[in-house]
Amino acid sequence: MSHTVPTANYLILAAVLFCMGMLGVLLRRNALVVFMCIELMLNAANLTFLAFARERGDSIGHLSAFFIIAVAAAEAAVGLAIVIAVFRSRGTVNIEEIQSMKH
Amino acid sequence: MESPLTPYVPVAIVLFLAGAMAAAIPFIAGLLGPRSPSAVKSEIFEGGNPPIGSARQRFAVKFYVVALLFIVFDVEAVFLYPWAVNFQQLGWFGYATMAVFAATLVVALVYVWKKGALSWES
Amino acid sequence: MNIPHLTFQDLLPVAPAGVLVVGAIVLLLSEVFLSTAQRTYQAVIGTLTALLAGAVAMNNAFEPARAALQGYVVLDPFSQWMTVLVCLGTALASLLSAGFLNHRNAERGEFYALILFSAAGMSLLAMSAEFITLFINLEVLSISTYALTAFLRRGPRPAEAGFKYFILGAFSASLLLYGAALLYGATGSTRFLDVGLALPQAFAQQPGLVYAGFGLVLAGFAFKVAAVPFHMWTPDVYEGAPTPVTALMSAGVKAAAVVALVRTFLFLVKGLSPEVPFIAFSALALLSMVGGNLLALPQRNVKRMLAYSSIAHAGYLLLGVAALFAPATAKGSDAVGLFTATPLLGSMPNVAASVYKGLLFYLLGYTVTALGAFGTIAALERREDETRSNTWDLERFAGLAQRKPGWAAAMAAFMLSLGGVPPTVGFLGKLYLFGAAVDAGLLGLAVAGVLASVAGVYVYLRVVVYMYMRPAPADAPAPFRHWTTEVALIASAVAVVALGVLPGPVTEWFSRAGMVFGS
Repeated sequence: MSHTVPTANYLILAAVLFCMGMLGVLLRRNALVVFMCIELMLNAANLTFLAFARERGDSIGHLSAFFIIAVAAAEAAVGLAIVIAVFRSRGTVNIEEIQSMKH
Repeated sequence: MESPLTPYVPVAIVLFLAGAMAAAIPFIAGLLGPRSPSAVKSEIFEGGNPPIGSARQRFAVKFYVVALLFIVFDVEAVFLYPWAVNFQQLGWFGYATMAVFAATLVVALVYVWKKGALSWES
Repeated sequence: MNIPHLTFQDLLPVAPAGVLVVGAIVLLLSEVFLSTAQRTYQAVIGTLTALLAGAVAMNNAFEPARAALQGYVVLDPFSQWMTVLVCLGTALASLLSAGFLNHRNAERGEFYALILFSAAGMSLLAMSAEFITLFINLEVLSISTYALTAFLRRGPRPAEAGFKYFILGAFSASLLLYGAALLYGATGSTRFLDVGLALPQAFAQQPGLVYAGFGLVLAGFAFKVAAVPFHMWTPDVYEGAPTPVTALMSAGVKAAAVVALVRTFLFLVKGLSPEVPFIAFSALALLSMVGGNLLALPQRNVKRMLAYSSIAHAGYLLLGVAALFAPATAKGSDAVGLFTATPLLGSMPNVAASVYKGLLFYLLGYTVTALGAFGTIAALERREDETRSNTWDLERFAGLAQRKPGWAAAMAAFMLSLGGVPPTVGFLGKLYLFGAAVDAGLLGLAVAGVLASVAGVYVYLRVVVYMYMRPAPADAPAPFRHWTTEVALIASAVAVVALGVLPGPVTEWFSRAGMVFGS
């Protein structure tokens, strides 16, 4: 098994992806980019499940990935529909301009 | 005598080849291809018809609805693969479970259909 | 390959959710196959489905606690009573929606179907005992609620609220999922039972991984229950969502999330040093109780005020959760502090039982009260000024006692119940919950909670003062009337007062032994 990538590398990649996604959600201003960052976070979690499942040779992590993909797709469908609704009512997807309610 | 990066050598080769191809092909095409530009040729190609309007139009919302529905129904297929692979072992239990799953999807499809979300016209 | 052998016993806990889903499918199909102009029947179907599911859950609630579906879900009174509460809230929300949507000419079967799907998600979330099951049910509940929030297309508000709710909801779900992935890596399982068994060893080997997973899962839950400092989304989303949906969110979503949080952490804290979860929950409780009430003080917008109030109520619930995780402190530590547990009368043997009773009774009280309060607001809203910001101003309530004495009396009961003034269900709920906290020795936190809720009483009484002591403005809008709205409001007002005076068998039901599986 000398030519396989060690699990730690997958985990580091997943952690980096997750942090990129998290920073993107918190910092980016374009609704669609924020949306993609959330997908990035979900996929980082997915990768973590798969990396651990591969290391342990057990199927739970693989199954988890299937379910996460399906749930993420359903979430993406509703999320995109909402982004379209925002765009149609405002004409913008800039988060800073989507602030009509006072604090 | 192996560096920890050894497993990545094939990945690096693929990346290099992909990059090299992408850079080389337009160059080679420009070098080898005959060129005789004309007004008709430099027009935008739109299925043979004369192009109308800007390419950056807003798509009808119908398009998004169909795309969204496609994503959802397409991804559900992910559950069919593990079942198909283990069809023999799962037996009637697997069959019954997947039948319930598929029936739910059919109900969703009937709803979407009757709602008119699949018709492009109107 | 091991083929699971499913029996009727395995399907029993998920039966209420099954009823809700079938009802939702019937509503979806009725929407496309029956095209009548009059759609009140949909609200009736929704309400009846919810009541039927509630009856099934109530029947389940007397079963002994056990694991089902190979340990992926559990059947215990705690989750089944929670399902009863969710079904009660769903039934009331459906009735309120009928009048609300009818007034806006937006009655659709999808709306009620989404409410039922969301309720099914809440019910399943409360009984999930495995991370992926938990995640899926959390998303079933959340995705339905995102769509409900953005359901009304009039004006920019609903889409904006839906968008914010979606982004923060999906963000918190990702946090929770990544935390679950880390815990899976540390323990090799996603089933709570196995995670709990493997945690002590995993913690000894990789404490960093376990703490990271613990923190991420906790943060994910804190967003869902809207605890300070994870509450930023709450006011905007609650204000922008259709009012009956806000009611369902404040009662049902929060109740389900609290129950799921208790279940998850009962297993997750094994092996961790006991102070860590206790201090985390205590801090969240304190911040939410104080922050929610203080932020509600300056609000003149009643709907937004109730949003902040729901944060404070999440804080009281978290106080109960903190009491559950209070470490059994050694005798002799008499220091009374915010984050210390000081046993009053030696060690209390049955803190857990009184906490479960307090949590459930508090959730029951909050469900009927919040549904009633938001329902009254919904009835006073006029669709003409949906785009303006003064729709929910306190002025709307001025002189309501002269114009509509019955409505004013009901709203007064809801406000007093939210403030925890006797003789309402809100008072009894606070009494049980704070009592449980004191039993656990959380004197400092309980005192802080009582002080914070006194500040809250001012906010609620201000609404009562406007209703009874201010003259009605000349152009005061008449509340719209719809029989479903009136049925819902009468039912919740009667429940608020009756349960406050005579809780009857309810307290006994909620304090039976063996409430929670595995505790």
